[in-house]
Amino acid sequence: MTTHAPPETSHAAVAAVDLVKVYGSGETAVRALDGVSVGFGRAAFTAIMGSSGSGKSTLMHCLAGLDTATSGRVLLGGTELTGQSDRTLTRVRRERIGFVFQSFNLLPQLTAAQNVTLPLDLAGRQPDPELLAHLVRVLGLTDRLGHRPSELSGGQQQRVALARALVARPEVVFADEPTGNLDSRSGAEVLTILRDSVRDLGQTVVMVTHDPIAAGYADRVVLLADGRLAGDIDKPNQVSVTDALRDLAARA
Amino acid sequence: MRGTVLRTQASAAARRPGRLILTGLAILVASFVVLGTVLVQQITERTVRDNLSGTPAATDLVIGSPDVPPPTVTDVRQVRAVPGVAEAVARVSTGVSVGEGYLNLQSDPGNGPLTTVRVVEGSYPDRPGEIAVTPRTAERLGLRVGTTTSGTGGELTAPAPLTVTGVVDTGADAGYDAYAPDSVVTAWARLTAVERVDVRVAPGTPTEDVRQRVAAAVAGQPIRSGAEVREAEANAAAEQVGRLFILVGMFVSIAVVAAALVVTSTFRIVFAQRMRQLALLRAVGASRGTLVRALTAEGALTGLVAGVVGVVGALALGYALPAILRTTGRAVSSPGLPVAAAVTVVIGAVVITVVAVLAPALSAARVSPLEALRASSTTAGRRGIGMLRLVSGLLLAVGAILAGSATVSQLPEPDQSNYDPTVPLFLLVGSGALAFFALVALGPLLVRPVLAVVGWPLRQLGPLGRMSVGGIGGTPRRAAAVSVVVALGVTLTSGVVIGGASLQILADRELALSAPTDFEVRSNGGTLPAAVVTRAEAARGALARVVPYRRVDGVTLMRGADKLGDVESGYPTNDLDLTALPTTGDLDVAQGSLAGRGPGRIVLNNWVARDAALRAGDTVTLAMAGRRVDVRVAAVLPGDGPLHAGILTDPSDLDRLGVPAAYTGLLADAAGTGEDGRTAGVRALRQAIGGSQDVGLAVLADERDRNESLVRTLVLVAVGLVGLTVLIAVVGVGSTTALSVVERVRESGLLRAIGLSRTGLRTMLTVESGLYGVIGATIGLVLGIPYAWLAVRALGIEAPLTAPVLPLAGLFVALVVLTALAGVLPARRASRVSPVVALGADG
Repeated sequence: MTTHAPPETSHAAVAAVDLVKVYGSGETAVRALDGVSVGFGRAAFTAIMGSSGSGKSTLMHCLAGLDTATSGRVLLGGTELTGQSDRTLTRVRRERIGFVFQSFNLLPQLTAAQNVTLPLDLAGRQPDPELLAHLVRVLGLTDRLGHRPSELSGGQQQRVALARALVARPEVVFADEPTGNLDSRSGAEVLTILRDSVRDLGQTVVMVTHDPIAAGYADRVVLLADGRLAGDIDKPNQVSVTDALRDLAARA
Repeated sequence: MRGTVLRTQASAAARRPGRLILTGLAILVASFVVLGTVLVQQITERTVRDNLSGTPAATDLVIGSPDVPPPTVTDVRQVRAVPGVAEAVARVSTGVSVGEGYLNLQSDPGNGPLTTVRVVEGSYPDRPGEIAVTPRTAERLGLRVGTTTSGTGGELTAPAPLTVTGVVDTGADAGYDAYAPDSVVTAWARLTAVERVDVRVAPGTPTEDVRQRVAAAVAGQPIRSGAEVREAEANAAAEQVGRLFILVGMFVSIAVVAAALVVTSTFRIVFAQRMRQLALLRAVGASRGTLVRALTAEGALTGLVAGVVGVVGALALGYALPAILRTTGRAVSSPGLPVAAAVTVVIGAVVITVVAVLAPALSAARVSPLEALRASSTTAGRRGIGMLRLVSGLLLAVGAILAGSATVSQLPEPDQSNYDPTVPLFLLVGSGALAFFALVALGPLLVRPVLAVVGWPLRQLGPLGRMSVGGIGGTPRRAAAVSVVVALGVTLTSGVVIGGASLQILADRELALSAPTDFEVRSNGGTLPAAVVTRAEAARGALARVVPYRRVDGVTLMRGADKLGDVESGYPTNDLDLTALPTTGDLDVAQGSLAGRGPGRIVLNNWVARDAALRAGDTVTLAMAGRRVDVRVAAVLPGDGPLHAGILTDPSDLDRLGVPAAYTGLLADAAGTGEDGRTAGVRALRQAIGGSQDVGLAVLADERDRNESLVRTLVLVAVGLVGLTVLIAVVGVGSTTALSVVERVRESGLLRAIGLSRTGLRTMLTVESGLYGVIGATIGLVLGIPYAWLAVRALGIEAPLTAPVLPLAGLFVALVVLTALAGVLPARRASRVSPVVALGADG
């Protein structure tokens, strides 16, 4: 796996071009990303996989405008994110990107409903009532809206976080190990919802995971190793992903 | 195990010394203030001692004391004759009435080591009938060098001439001081005794020998050494300073209580941050007791560090400040080195911190080991309060209300003469203290309702405002802990402001009566020559207002043939035109209305109305020298009348009583402002009086200035002391915000990730800390205003109840701005953290 097709950056919802991220300097410098070029298609569910330290989280942080790359470019729907000011990146995150985290990250003092509409509140926008009602129904949150996070189970909290990510109709939803803190049944629910949002709402989803079962829900899997692209699986399933990971481990 | 737990906690503290200081910041400030107060007291005492101008330093012996009959003039002569006495100076003072007013004539040698004056113009008097005056006296009374006037004083009853031969400078110049040698004073005023005799012993003669010889010459007179007398004078002055500092100490202890409360709440936050770590320690087998001991030890360490830093800071400033002031030419003494006080303050800081840390440590140690396994972001602070706390809070509140109503029932009736304010004031202070502790206990329950009201406008301002309000409302215990301290500061400050305003109004009312204008010209017993009034009215350049009046003393009140009241000679009555005076607006009435004055309508002062049993609206007959006039009472004043009038009439009623048309006095205001305007006014009136006999001029404005500056100084001092509590409250808000920013770094990271800008985050956190101020100041005003009113009523000084809106609004705004500012730095720090780092932090 030495060459790749050039990433279809112009059609991609979000793309990285020769992305390099170096932490520290001198002797102790670590190249977390070492020249990654990859595009993520619109209305597709892509999983980024790799072992711990492969750079998958760093890649996601750079793509989402949370972190700035050392060199290379990040394009969000044709917009250059590289070198933008914090103000612009903040605006991009608020208006064009949604997040789902492993540890849910809901605000404990707000109710479920307030947590869902928080990004729109920050942007000073009203939620689309139809979409909100649809999400609440699909995510099974109807009778949980008045509860605070401490009164919800892990699966319920993550579903609130999903609603929060989806309600603003972002161009890309980034999910960072969204099932990492959940049991298998709740995890399956969350993954189904993510996949359905791609199919029903045309949402673009990029998910970082190390779980082959979770990756099996995606349309495509991008493999990372030592900060470089190490594989690309179309229409993956649990078996093909597990095989690819085993190959990767054997080569290392 | 125990050692390990202690080590993990202690090493956490040692790794972040900044946080240790931040946690103990309130204690640091309190230690600084306490030792600072000790040092300021020492500085003040020493400065007072060192700069005391009493008995001259050259005095060796002092004969006479207030406890025995004073030395006679003969004694003075005998002391002078004693061998070895280089100089003997009699000290005596006597009041002298001169045409121009009042003089305090004091004896002083005028030169030599025992003098307290310095001649600056002319020569010092040496013959009976000669005096020297101070510069202000010369200016005010028109007593220039060479002027001759006449007066009576001491045993002298027939007026005798007094000639001004010189002007002297003294330590204090009241504006009515005259000096002359003792022989001149005693001879002119026909005095036979003096107050005391100061003796200077001839060089080379043993003082003890002279003392024995003097004791033999004036048997029965106590003799003290000059050093002894100076020491006593210094001690008396220092004792006054000490008494003042007892009051200061009271305010400082309130500030210390506030600091303890602040530290309690900061520890609560610090421990809440470490909940997972503590739960982990519990999970692996640490007992509750071990945790409590470890956390308490951390508290003690914090107290020690904060106490030492505070004390060292106070010492540094205490030594630096006098030195700096001395370079600007001020005589300020340095304090001593109060080692015992410094050590006590540090020990006190440790003890108070340990006491303050106990409650948070106990509740932190109660953490369930399961907490360690739970997702951190879901462990929100508890909202409610325990049953025990609720019940004790309610009991305290009931106690406060009971004590408050007891105070109300003890309040004085109007005109109650035998009122003792001790019990009601004591009850009121008790009620206030109970209310405060009730507030501490019930605070978390109050935060949300108060927030619902005061947070309303903020919530309308958009998501940032809503989130700030939500952030505070979500953690009511933390918000209450901080706001209660702010409330304490605001309660005390608003109380002082309201009390001061009430006193000011009371003083204004008193002054509107006793000093309605800058000057008064009055004939002593007779009438003013018409020319005096004409000339005063002509002096428009220097005098803004000239209001002549007539005053008679023998007016009685009759109903039919019966004389009303118990007064034999009648009541003092004048026809002063109130509308012409600028201060009429400050007069208020007990009954009726001042607007109802006019021909046939009189105004009575409170005492006359009671003596004659009259009310507004009653009809009565004025009688004088056989003439009678029927009038109606238009109004009754709450206290004395203007210029001490018992009855205030219309001029036409005095005419009908047969009072001559010639004025007896006039009131006047200076046209210019300040000392220059006043001097110009004095000069103009002096010229108007000219050579008229028995006409005196009084500068009422001097008295007014003294009173006003006294009230102002009192209020300023009180506000300054109360400010200590406010300072600690603000420090509390700052450290709470700083710590809660650390606690909520994950939350900040999330908000930044989903699109809150740096400015937005900064604004939100700053607004949150300002909200602590809003909640605290609201509670403080709600408590402070009624308590201040009750206190003013309980004092029984018949001061009106006021709410000075502007200063109170200013106080509110200042507090909110200060608390918001306290949050600015932590908010800046939080907004700089990268969202990735913040999200990765172990919250």
